[in-house]
Amino acid sequence: MHSASVRRNKGDKLTKKANQQRKVAVAKVAAKGPARTVPLAGKRPARKPFKQSIIKKVKAAAPAKAGKTASKPAGKATAGAPTWERHVKKQDVGFPLRTFDLDAMSDDELVACSKAMGIRLSLAEMHSARGYFQSKGRDPTDVEMEALGQAWSEHCCYKSSKPILKKYVYGIAEEQLICREDAGVLPFDGDWYYSPKLESHNHPSAIEPYGGAATGIGGVIRDVVCMGAQPVALLDPLFFGPLDTPLDKLPPGVKHPRFLLSGVIEGIRDYGNRVGIPTVAGGITFHPGYTGNCLVNVGCVGILHKDALTHSKAGGVGDVFVYLGNPTGRDGIHGVAFASEELSEASEEASRSAVQVGDAILKEPLIHVTLELIADKLVTGCKDFGGGGLSCVAGELAYDAGFGCEIQLDAVPLKVPTMAPWEIWVSESQERMMVTAKPAQVERILQIAKKWDVPAAVVGKVIKEKVNRVRYKGTKVLEFDLSFSTGGPVYDRPMKAPTINRQDWLTFEQPKDLSQTLLWMLAHPNVMSKEWVIRQYDHEVRANTVLKPLQGVIGSEGPGDAAVLKPVPTSKKGLALSSDVNPNYCLRDPFWGAASAVDETVRNLAAVGARLSSILDNLNFGNPEKPERMWELSESARGLGTMARALNIPFASGNISLYNQGPTGPIPPTPTVMGCGILSNFEHATTMDLKKAGDKLYLVGHTYRDLGGSLYLESMKKSKGERVPQTDPEILAVSADLVVTAIEKGLVRAAHDCSEGGIAVALAEMAFAGKLGAKADLAPLGAFGDERNLQPGPMRSDHKLFSESNSRWIVEVPAAKEQAFLALFDKPVVKGLCYPLGEVVREPTVTIVDGSKPLIQVGVEACRAAWRDAMPKLMGVSA
Amino acid sequence: MVKAHVTVHLKPGISDPEGNNTLKALQLLGFDGVVAAHTTRVWTIELATKSKDKAKEQVDAMCRRLLTNPVIHDYTIKVE
Amino acid sequence: MNKKDITWAVLRIEGTNSEEESARCMRDVGVNAEIVHLKQLTGDDVIQSERRKLSDYDGLWIAGGFSAGDYIRAGAILAARMKSKLTPELKEFIKAGKPMLGICNGFQIMVELGVLPSMERKTPMTELPTAVLNLNDSGHYECRPSLLRHVNRGNCKFTGRIRGGEVRTVISSHAEGKFLMASEADYKRLADQDQIVFTYTDPDGSAAPKYPWSPNGAPHAIAGVCNPEGTVMGMMPHPERVFWRHGHPDWTRTGLDAGLGWDVGDGRAIFDSIVDYQTKKL
Repeated sequence: MHSASVRRNKGDKLTKKANQQRKVAVAKVAAKGPARTVPLAGKRPARKPFKQSIIKKVKAAAPAKAGKTASKPAGKATAGAPTWERHVKKQDVGFPLRTFDLDAMSDDELVACSKAMGIRLSLAEMHSARGYFQSKGRDPTDVEMEALGQAWSEHCCYKSSKPILKKYVYGIAEEQLICREDAGVLPFDGDWYYSPKLESHNHPSAIEPYGGAATGIGGVIRDVVCMGAQPVALLDPLFFGPLDTPLDKLPPGVKHPRFLLSGVIEGIRDYGNRVGIPTVAGGITFHPGYTGNCLVNVGCVGILHKDALTHSKAGGVGDVFVYLGNPTGRDGIHGVAFASEELSEASEEASRSAVQVGDAILKEPLIHVTLELIADKLVTGCKDFGGGGLSCVAGELAYDAGFGCEIQLDAVPLKVPTMAPWEIWVSESQERMMVTAKPAQVERILQIAKKWDVPAAVVGKVIKEKVNRVRYKGTKVLEFDLSFSTGGPVYDRPMKAPTINRQDWLTFEQPKDLSQTLLWMLAHPNVMSKEWVIRQYDHEVRANTVLKPLQGVIGSEGPGDAAVLKPVPTSKKGLALSSDVNPNYCLRDPFWGAASAVDETVRNLAAVGARLSSILDNLNFGNPEKPERMWELSESARGLGTMARALNIPFASGNISLYNQGPTGPIPPTPTVMGCGILSNFEHATTMDLKKAGDKLYLVGHTYRDLGGSLYLESMKKSKGERVPQTDPEILAVSADLVVTAIEKGLVRAAHDCSEGGIAVALAEMAFAGKLGAKADLAPLGAFGDERNLQPGPMRSDHKLFSESNSRWIVEVPAAKEQAFLALFDKPVVKGLCYPLGEVVREPTVTIVDGSKPLIQVGVEACRAAWRDAMPKLMGVSA
Repeated sequence: MVKAHVTVHLKPGISDPEGNNTLKALQLLGFDGVVAAHTTRVWTIELATKSKDKAKEQVDAMCRRLLTNPVIHDYTIKVE
Repeated sequence: MNKKDITWAVLRIEGTNSEEESARCMRDVGVNAEIVHLKQLTGDDVIQSERRKLSDYDGLWIAGGFSAGDYIRAGAILAARMKSKLTPELKEFIKAGKPMLGICNGFQIMVELGVLPSMERKTPMTELPTAVLNLNDSGHYECRPSLLRHVNRGNCKFTGRIRGGEVRTVISSHAEGKFLMASEADYKRLADQDQIVFTYTDPDGSAAPKYPWSPNGAPHAIAGVCNPEGTVMGMMPHPERVFWRHGHPDWTRTGLDAGLGWDVGDGRAIFDSIVDYQTKKL
């Protein structure tokens, strides 16, 4: 939707009809134009010449050139700098309009032209464009060239990722979805649906963190609203370089992570708080790989009654397009193209215009207007202006319904009256929505918009012919067959797999003072309290937040596993949200890293008592034109798909953000996973804080030697070796179900998942959040001879303590309910999965032993202080 | 047309967290010797009238009715 | 007056939020509530069937949010709009003893309007504001539970069901919540006239709690005030967010029945109290 991200849903519609349309469309183009799948292994196959018969514009040189230019290095251009400008004609129409004689341009000139215009089309794509206009017998206008640049960007057409998504991610458990358009829609309870969406806004945020993050929120909210849903929650997984990066270590053009983090948080705060949607979950992950290119992923969930469901497509021929919201300005021009290339030193200055400016106080009424129009059944279709602006939204609304559209550009409300037609067509100004409606409803629509002081205008109509036609002041400035502009190129890009050694066992001494290691872990940026951030977000507005991001004794809270909402007043069901990914795993092993992200999502949701209902993925990766990055993307997608298929859970929506690499190199592969879970009754919701001295503590799940990418290895300053956590989805599914069942039966007073820092960190967090102590003995763990536990003999104590094995929870069980709890696990697959750990004690100390060996003894207050004070220290603010 | 510049500042003794936080940020960035930072808001208001006196009178009313809160703010008006 | 004959208006303009849960609270205590756009009261840009008069309602709630973006000062723009179009109706409404409640942004608006603290009796509105809600000492927005002590001695019509000195948990969620008056004499008069309703405290019961227990640094830890008649109340923390026990941050520790009844939160008493007043007095 936004300039930094690629929308997955396009071309991936659930309805069979849409699929067929798309297939037909692609086939048509394939017959007409050059091959749609361009292998990029370095050599380009010779293109077939266009058939003479469809080239209406006859030029002596054209047909021959069309067949040969691919292999001709300089075309007609004489030696020296390409001078593509001489093939551009200003049209005498009383407003700025140019046409491009692509036939006359040499390859160098085509490349130079694409570059200078900032549309970032490759040579092969410029050839495709030329072929199309040859077939139409005319030269393209600047409006058309700009529109193509947008439509064929990685962001809009998924040209690099589509084959991978098709292979691994599409088509899983889709019968569970109601639909998947601008956002996914799934059943919640009875007549109520929920609608989630996850997106990235990475590039703009790296350049202008405040505006970038704010507009990211705006876009994801609009996606949910245009399905007819009232947004009820936001979540924001963020990724930055280390906050203590020395200033002189920053490459030129890179902003300090502290500045970026502050700006992003202020952007989310000022925008999210102002629109009145609670920000309830998310996370901040630090890794040096994000220093040059921070990641801002934003998720939103809405709730809708089934009658309000509105599709992102027009109702029928004769419907009119009504533009709602912010007037169109020059902001955000070339945003999607900008999102489809690497950030460089020059990006900082050059790309400012690609960052849109958000206005929460226009957005908030726009939500009201849209939902009021939908409630009053005044619209037939609704779509938000995402990355790609008017150019994409009008075409897609029409195309997805099997029609075409005619747009009057001069009817579009403008911020600056002097904007050229192409600028109006591709602008990505924020806070805009397009609806289609029967003409009879227009008067009422405009009246409702006026009540809310939201600008509105009729800007076009739906036509039968499958073309996109645009007029400005009576002149036709664009005409595309919709199948041409929306059927972008697809690339099967080459990949290169590095060797992964999953048996690279390291030998190192166990540190003397493991308590110190634990305190170091609690203060580690990826574990430390994010309270300073969380409290700046309104996580309570709408009064539906049943479990907050911080949980436990007031004033001594710990990190909750997931937030829980009670979004429908008449329903007792709860909606749980969590987002996860550990880039340290993904960097070493993208397949198991991605699988672990799904595992962690499942267990976070189970810890609060929720069963996973859908997942959303935001695939943040580097430059797909580099084979190593492409492999990372493919392996991660395979990991996500493998897990989703095994768990039989659909992807509600997805998003891809590529080209995330800056002057500090590529980001670690980051397949962010957002999970939506459902609680059968919100009253079962369980928090992670220990509740009562005398209760028993159990560990659910096996502990293996999973130290690769762990905090423990990092504490030893070892950046390589060992194996990242793996997972068995069958065990995960059964054990998560049993944890939830135990919670529903009232057998569990607290539950917390084990992730970074393993059992030690999880137990310490549970203790300080409940202001109680814990005693644990790790002797029962890891003694079994499992084929995944490749080391012979019993596990080392420090490995048990800090291993980050997946599919594990620590649960607090009242002594009186111990037998009932254990009985649940007396069945195949999970037999022996439940390990007695110890008990909750009054004395505020965390004590962990392994049989007779003492491992950790540290005060609960010291744990909390280490955890709580780390971030304010790093940010230089008072706690 | 008359242009009026309204400067709104906090009365002495009213705490200024925005100024204080800015001060801290400047010191953190290594600007030694910064001892204080205060926030002041400036509005530039353009009026259709030709009379400076009338403009000043109108802008004064704007200050009282919207732009300032007398409990914490002082303001000055400059017309040109 | 019967509960079913009582109708509250929850005011909305661009940027206000919390209207839905606010209306839900009033409905849950048994009275009617309607979310009304300011333009429905002023008659601008609405069709006839949407038109409303302030006098149609028995209570007015200005909910939290960021009306008009909180530009200039929190609440200032909405206050100015109301002042220019609704002053006579508002004065009449308050004079008639009809209750008016402002939470968070609503409190900021009421202070900017001059309906709070408005210390002269029978003067529903001062021409200029006599107090302000200034930026938190932390310099930014804070969303956290606060402990509020009920310090009113019986004047406030919104707290009839809350014992004197009782401490309740309510959610603070604001950037500009520091209640400031021009002089120490003003604070004294406010206290003398029994216009202070809630003050912030900490788990030790301090009268001068430190951050974060005082989320904004207000002198005398003032969190909520009322007019001399006790019918107009404004407070920064959000009682509507703890109307239900499940809105409390620690309900998984206390259970859904923490002494007030099943799933009854600390905030509900405020709404029950004002409806008590309306059913008895009006």
